[in-house]
Amino acid sequence: MNMKSLTANIRGIATLPLLLTVAAIILLFLLPKFVTSTYALHIMILIFISVIMGSAWNILGGYTGQYSVGHAAYFGVGAYTTMILLQYRHIAPWYGVWAGVAVAVATGLVIGSICFRLRGPYFVLASIAVAEIFRVSALNLPGLTNGAEGILITEVPPFKIGNAVITDFMSKVPFYYIGLVIAIAVILATRLVQNSKLGYYFQAIREDQDAAHSLGINLTLYKNAALAISAIFTSLAGSLYGLYVGFIDPGTVLDLGLSVQIVMTCIIGGIGTVLGPMVGAVVLVPFSEALRSNMIAQALIDSGLVKEDSPIGTFLKEQLSHAHVLIYGILLVVVILFMPDGILGFIKKLLASKRKETA
Amino acid sequence: MAILKIQRVSKFFGGLAANSDISFEVQQGMIMGLIGPNGAGKTTLFNCITGYYPPSRGEIVFYNKRMNGLHPDAVCKLGMARTWQKVRPLARMSVVDNVMVGALCRTNSLTKAREMAMEQIKVVHLEQRLDARAGSLPIGERKKLEVARVLATQPKLLLLDEVMGGLNPAESEELIQLILDVRKLGITQMVIEHNMRAIMRVSDRIVVLNSGEKLAEGNPREIVANKAVIQAYLGESDA
Repeated sequence: MNMKSLTANIRGIATLPLLLTVAAIILLFLLPKFVTSTYALHIMILIFISVIMGSAWNILGGYTGQYSVGHAAYFGVGAYTTMILLQYRHIAPWYGVWAGVAVAVATGLVIGSICFRLRGPYFVLASIAVAEIFRVSALNLPGLTNGAEGILITEVPPFKIGNAVITDFMSKVPFYYIGLVIAIAVILATRLVQNSKLGYYFQAIREDQDAAHSLGINLTLYKNAALAISAIFTSLAGSLYGLYVGFIDPGTVLDLGLSVQIVMTCIIGGIGTVLGPMVGAVVLVPFSEALRSNMIAQALIDSGLVKEDSPIGTFLKEQLSHAHVLIYGILLVVVILFMPDGILGFIKKLLASKRKETA
Repeated sequence: MAILKIQRVSKFFGGLAANSDISFEVQQGMIMGLIGPNGAGKTTLFNCITGYYPPSRGEIVFYNKRMNGLHPDAVCKLGMARTWQKVRPLARMSVVDNVMVGALCRTNSLTKAREMAMEQIKVVHLEQRLDARAGSLPIGERKKLEVARVLATQPKLLLLDEVMGGLNPAESEELIQLILDVRKLGITQMVIEHNMRAIMRVSDRIVVLNSGEKLAEGNPREIVANKAVIQAYLGESDA
């Protein structure tokens, strides 16, 4: 059987990707049973949060073409609402997160109806400015947010159904499952959007706003719809982050760097595709973690490429972990130059050209 | 029956009158040609009619409904659709998806929208290019795609802004045929065109604009014989 008929055969079996997806999901659900390393679980939870944020942004940025660089606002609003309700009002987080979602969506609609009048770079600038307003407000409203000190939660109450304790949140495992479920939900939501009128309208707006407008698309309505869906999941990611880490402050959950990181996850993975943000998260989170914890410098030394006591070795060991932002930046430049459609787009193109060669 | 009434419409940009005091009516089922030298205000008038600009003065009445101040999406839903002088394909979407976006104006179901889209794609003869990216089409096919996409919104009145601009004679001929085919579907059309031979052939009636004002109105034979029109196009004659 030659290559062409093989790929045609594979494409004919539409159930194969479905089977692979189901297998992957089952594997992910079983993972904590086999992996006991808390560090591995920690990385997985960070990946889930990154997938949720990236996919949420992707609906507004990737599909609708509205490049918000202020998504930290919705992340922070969600996190703050949940944490404030938990710490100062003693409202359990499984109610609090929905309050967070409601506040984030309401915030989004207010921001949207103002900023969506702007197009292109002006919208980007406005989205940054608005997110900064939230960060500065959180810093300066200590009565509500405890200001720069942030909010440290003393404990997450155990989750009970009736009298049965489902989980007491003492280990990382419950956070792992919550992250996994929300990540699956956001990817499902993206697929649903993509295969609906909403998805067509979002993409039409991305491609040409004036043409979309003349084809009967209410621009303000659909842009706000995209933002609302996006804000729901970004806020959930924020709440999950806050509860998992147990501490938030304006410098982490409302930071411009966070907004940029969300966008980068999508650019590196592949904008406007269902799986792009997932690929981006799977690449970026372990990479930045390895940089931060000096794993890369250590690996270079261990491999014998650089001597530990040589000037380069000392430099790497002491400075590389501080340079993770710089390396992030270089990575972004490389991806934009050589893989403008992200890693996913790059692989697709590679496969397509290979198929052409064999045909 | 007059389905569109332009009543003393003016549009000012600062001190400049892009349209001044223009009035005419479009009858159901006809093809109305709109001609005039560059800068005469043809596209501005289209933009006023379809809601991109509010007219500064005057009324636009469509099926006895006042259209002033409506946004382009509302105008489209009421049954008035336009194409653009500079084509605007949804570049990274396929041909069929482009037309489906138009059809989704009338339905929420993708299946229904796809059926409606296929129907219009047949009208413009793009069946061979269904899955091609709209951005990869040559200009002639882009123009046809644009027509299919607005037809899919099920307009009662179609406004075509220079659909033949930049086309070679063979492609222009196809577009002329397309305009005549669309008329057979019972859709009223208003056509801006620089190609005189084409506009004379398809139009039932022609309005001539010059420097923002209506210079003449009549059937094609009257227009070619009109002294003011000849003067506007060819300049002052010494004889």
